[in-house]
Amino acid sequence: MTAFVFYLFAALAIASGAMVVTARNPVHSVLFLILTFFNVAGLFILLGAEFVAMIMVIVYVGAVAVLFLFVVMMLDIHAVTLREGFTKILPVGAVVALVLFVELALVFGTWLMAPDLDAVRGAPTPAVGELSNTQAIGAVLYTDYVYLFQLAGIVLLVGMIGSIMLTLRARVGVKRQNPRTQANRPLEDCIEVKKVATGKGV
Amino acid sequence: MSELPNLIPALPEIFLALAGMALLMLGVFRKRDATRQVGHLALAAFAAAAVLALTFGGPRQVTFNGLFITDAFAVFAKLMVFGASAATLILALKWMEQENAARFEFPVLVVFAVLGMCAMISANDFLSLYMGLETQSLALYLIAAYQRDATRSTEAGLKYFVLGALASGLFLYGASLIYGFTGTTNFDSLAQGFEGAETVSPGVVVGLVFIICALAFKVSAVPFHMWTPDVYEGAPTPVTAFFSVAPKVAALALFLRVMSAPFGDLLAQWQQVIVAISVASMMLGGFAAIVQTNIKRLMAYSSIGHVGYALVGLAVGSAEGIGGVLVYMTIYLFMNVGTFAVILSMRANGRLVEGINDLSGLSKNRPVMAAALAVMMFSMAGIPPFAGFFGKFFIFKAAVDAGLIPLAVVGVLTSVVAAFYYLRIVKIIYFDEAGDQFEPMTAQARLVLGIASVFVAVFFLFPLPQIVLAADTAAKALFGG
Amino acid sequence: MTVAIVFLPLLGAILAGLFGRFLGRRGSQILTCLLLAVSALLSIPLLYKVGFGSGPFTVVLLDWIHVGTFNVSWALKVDTLTAVMLFTVTMISALVHIYSIGYMSHDPSVPRFMSYLSLFTFFMLMLVTADNLVQMFFGWEGVGLSSYLLIGFWSDRPSANAAAIKAFVVNRVGDFGFMLGIAGIYLSFDSAHLDTIFAAAPAMAGQSLHLFGMDLPLITTLCLLLFLGAMGKSAQIGLHTWLPDAMEGPTPVSALIHAATMVTAGVFMVARMSPLFELSEAALSTVAFIGATTAIFAATVACTQNDIKKVIAYSTCSQLGYMFFALGVGAYPAAIFHLMTHAFFKAMLFLGAGSVIHAMSDEQDMRRMGGIWKNIKVTYAIMWIGSLSLAGLPVFAGYYSKDMILEAAWGAHSAIGQYAFWMGAAAALLTAFYSWRLLFMTFHGAPRADEKVMAHIHESPLVMLIPLGLLAVGAVFAGMAGYDAFVGEDRMHFWKAALAVVGPDPIEAAHHVGEAVKLLPVVIALVGIGVAYAFYMARPAWPGRLAAMLPGVYRLLLNKWYFDEAYEALFIRPAFALGRILWKQGDVGIIDRLGPDGVSWAARQVARRTARLQSGYVYHYAFAMIIGLAVFVTAYVIGMEG
Repeated sequence: MTAFVFYLFAALAIASGAMVVTARNPVHSVLFLILTFFNVAGLFILLGAEFVAMIMVIVYVGAVAVLFLFVVMMLDIHAVTLREGFTKILPVGAVVALVLFVELALVFGTWLMAPDLDAVRGAPTPAVGELSNTQAIGAVLYTDYVYLFQLAGIVLLVGMIGSIMLTLRARVGVKRQNPRTQANRPLEDCIEVKKVATGKGV
Repeated sequence: MSELPNLIPALPEIFLALAGMALLMLGVFRKRDATRQVGHLALAAFAAAAVLALTFGGPRQVTFNGLFITDAFAVFAKLMVFGASAATLILALKWMEQENAARFEFPVLVVFAVLGMCAMISANDFLSLYMGLETQSLALYLIAAYQRDATRSTEAGLKYFVLGALASGLFLYGASLIYGFTGTTNFDSLAQGFEGAETVSPGVVVGLVFIICALAFKVSAVPFHMWTPDVYEGAPTPVTAFFSVAPKVAALALFLRVMSAPFGDLLAQWQQVIVAISVASMMLGGFAAIVQTNIKRLMAYSSIGHVGYALVGLAVGSAEGIGGVLVYMTIYLFMNVGTFAVILSMRANGRLVEGINDLSGLSKNRPVMAAALAVMMFSMAGIPPFAGFFGKFFIFKAAVDAGLIPLAVVGVLTSVVAAFYYLRIVKIIYFDEAGDQFEPMTAQARLVLGIASVFVAVFFLFPLPQIVLAADTAAKALFGG
Repeated sequence: MTVAIVFLPLLGAILAGLFGRFLGRRGSQILTCLLLAVSALLSIPLLYKVGFGSGPFTVVLLDWIHVGTFNVSWALKVDTLTAVMLFTVTMISALVHIYSIGYMSHDPSVPRFMSYLSLFTFFMLMLVTADNLVQMFFGWEGVGLSSYLLIGFWSDRPSANAAAIKAFVVNRVGDFGFMLGIAGIYLSFDSAHLDTIFAAAPAMAGQSLHLFGMDLPLITTLCLLLFLGAMGKSAQIGLHTWLPDAMEGPTPVSALIHAATMVTAGVFMVARMSPLFELSEAALSTVAFIGATTAIFAATVACTQNDIKKVIAYSTCSQLGYMFFALGVGAYPAAIFHLMTHAFFKAMLFLGAGSVIHAMSDEQDMRRMGGIWKNIKVTYAIMWIGSLSLAGLPVFAGYYSKDMILEAAWGAHSAIGQYAFWMGAAAALLTAFYSWRLLFMTFHGAPRADEKVMAHIHESPLVMLIPLGLLAVGAVFAGMAGYDAFVGEDRMHFWKAALAVVGPDPIEAAHHVGEAVKLLPVVIALVGIGVAYAFYMARPAWPGRLAAMLPGVYRLLLNKWYFDEAYEALFIRPAFALGRILWKQGDVGIIDRLGPDGVSWAARQVARRTARLQSGYVYHYAFAMIIGLAVFVTAYVIGMEG
């Protein structure tokens, strides 16, 4: 049963991954990307990594992919023109990809966990029965890996500074509502009372 | 409740992180433009961080659960990074004021980039290495695209970002392969595991090859160099100056540590790859620069060539070779900073120029500037008694001592090719018809150029023994000495 | 004190050279003259102290080159020989500095000139105070350099540039020998330190040097190599050709460098190395032979020259010949004595000639002078004193030193000594002849210059005459004053161990030669003067008739024995021809085409191709990365399988 679910998720992930790069409509590409994320999340659940799976759904699907969708829709991208170079280099790319794939397959075929390294193995995941996945991550994230956590914060900060720096413009002449000035505006500035003689028009 | 990790070894990084955030606040909440204050405080922060590194860095210390290391090597590399960043920041601030492009985010991003570099240098685990790398890279992408209204600048930033992301992908893939085949990402554990190992799992080596490729991208070695000329040319010149020194030193230091500390015992496995990269870089750096007409592009190829020479020292794989690389990079740093001080002053008729031919006849208009540039070029070409010669000398000596004679021969031959274009610049500034006169150099550029050219010119007299000694100590630290 | 003497000129050179524009003409003149004058005044008590007081000493400045066993410290060795040289050099140099104020008053680049002069003086002082051979070589090359700069000072004259290059190149030939000599000494003695060498020399006397399959006597070979250097610098026959051409430089330069100081460097060096030369009979004989030959050869040429400065230049050559044969017969004190007196009267002659040239609106050809003695009486008197001293007439300085040399040559009682004596005596006759020929042609007879020049003749300003007067004092009294100390009763006490004496003292022998020998030079000089009077005053037609009678001899002499022509045909033209062949056929045809041109062409091609790869498309770049990765992984996987 587990094997069936694994192959289902895996096949769907690969197929939708392929569709991401081949779909003609960019919006479709993003939607396939979301499908891929879901399948990968499923694979993580099979591995017993429910925390990563949930993060996958919340962050990648909920935030990243939706953002992509907005961008793609706003930018009106012509996928066909973008793809002109693609067909030209496709054969070469295919060959390189094939070569790399075969080689990696060979490497995995000779899987050999270096025996000397057993002694130095890093902290292994605790058995699922003892501690839940989320708890296990929580136990190390702010203690053993606090340095990485802080650095990640810095990375995010830099990203934030950057996006503001590259996009924020102090434009002149933009009209903004200012309730205070609105409220304090004297009556004379707003209304002019004119005597209009009857029958003559303005 | 676990104990608080020992923060003392990481004081320079912690200080820089806090300083970066403080400067950001200062910049945001100051009413008027605060670039100058922020910039000067950033310089002060580098100085303070350098002091901290010198004071607390010395002996080998590991903290943060083995993620972070400091030793003589880290201190040496960090000092180089601080020095290079400070020098280029001094140049950049003035340049940006002149160009009306001053924004306080620039020094702040430089501080964060330097923080990332320090984290790279002090990484003792693939995870911390990656985090440092990303901190640095992200900041660098941003400052490459800093002139957001200039197409070339944003294009440079974007190219750098896309390719950098690819390199990061390669790195992560390699790191995960290594984790998968060994069960650890910690350098000390890896070194312990490989010590005296007779057979190595192919997965580890393939992973290592992926990591080498990613790091080669960061130091812009062939064939992962393609971004360099475009980014160097497109980015604002002070940014190019910064790119050509600080990140290069940091990435190379990282390269040295990764290859020597955890994988030192696998020398036989990776040596050929490094040799190939090194030879390709030296050749490309020599040949491709010849036809360049833009001086920033030329410097890009020049830096590719210099990285090739530095990698010769890495390929040797001994403390002598590593020491040679450190000496080489120290000298490289001074030469590049000096040269960029001149390039940043290439301003004629109120307009910036960056063609090599714009330098023609410089000796008639600006004799001192011309002389200093000539010193830099002679040094880059490796002509004694200038500093550049000694850098190459130590590297090639290490290569010959280790029996890598063909590599040394290729190095010498390509440096002859490279000498062609360096000396061509000397010829242009001394023997060609005088072109438009450049405006006088700023005081900052003068200061930086003066220090750099004095260093390069009298290197053989005064600092040579001290630097060689320090580099030697630093290199030995990598080999547990 | 010694340090001040040596380094004050350097200070002057640096200040005048770097801040000349700031100091101005007057400022740099005063500054350099003042520093030189202090230096010269300081050298007098030093000479007294070393010669008559406490004796030699060494001032260590700093460790200089320290490579392996090659250990050279920078030190000033001051013994009597050095002190005499210091005294002579600084004294003459100071006077020439002052003279230059007047002589160069119309020149646009005064600070540069003064700076060069001071620099030259510094190098010369460096040379004479050297305590090891490397330092001496430094000074040696330094004077060569500054001489080049000064000869070519008027760099807008092609002839000056040519002369400067010639001086440099010919000196190079000699320097090559000197350098080989130093290298050889270091090889065999394992030290470049003079005292160490001298201490070890006697033990090495019998040894031989294996070189190119030959067994050469060690000391003789080394001495001959060193002497080759001395020949170059001191313009001895064969390597003398640069000296007359060097007269292209300003006259004060000729006086300082090409008469009084630099050209004596060779003499000084041989004297300094005397403990080594004393060990080789063959080397000494060579020195004596070359010296005597130069003396007579240069004197014959001087008789036919018409350029006033060239006459004096050849006369210098000839007098240097005297010094060398004195050295060759072992009479080192006599040589140095003559060196000193010669410095005074030759500098004076040159400066006097300069005064004449100055007066004649830069005319140097004696055929266009004449009859001007009434107009420039002081200069006339100076030239007389100089000539009397040069010819060696009693009372004047030259008499004491030149007689001493001839007596020493006779007293040597050897074949070479006899040769030297007779050549020297003949040269003395010619010396007197050409000196008075110069005087008569320049100052007497009918004026041969055009009226404009004649109307313009004027005595030189006081700033030029005062140095001349001071030099005249030296030219008259230096011989008398120095006789006892240099070669007389007190000589042992004076020289102490500065000059080597092995076996019987040649000076002692010189004092015991017959009265006839002692008298002969004076008689000869008077005869020479008489002949000159007859030829150029009483019977002005005779010289022409003599030349017509012996056309071959006359032409030989006029063309300076065809040395320049022979060199031209033997060395220069073949060298140029060879150079041209190598250039056209070898370099351009073969090496350039396959080498630089071919390589640079190929390099450009490669460069263009690689540049084309740089397309600017991100996906190309990404592709290159992936391909690179694939190649490396493939290479590894294949290696793993194999």
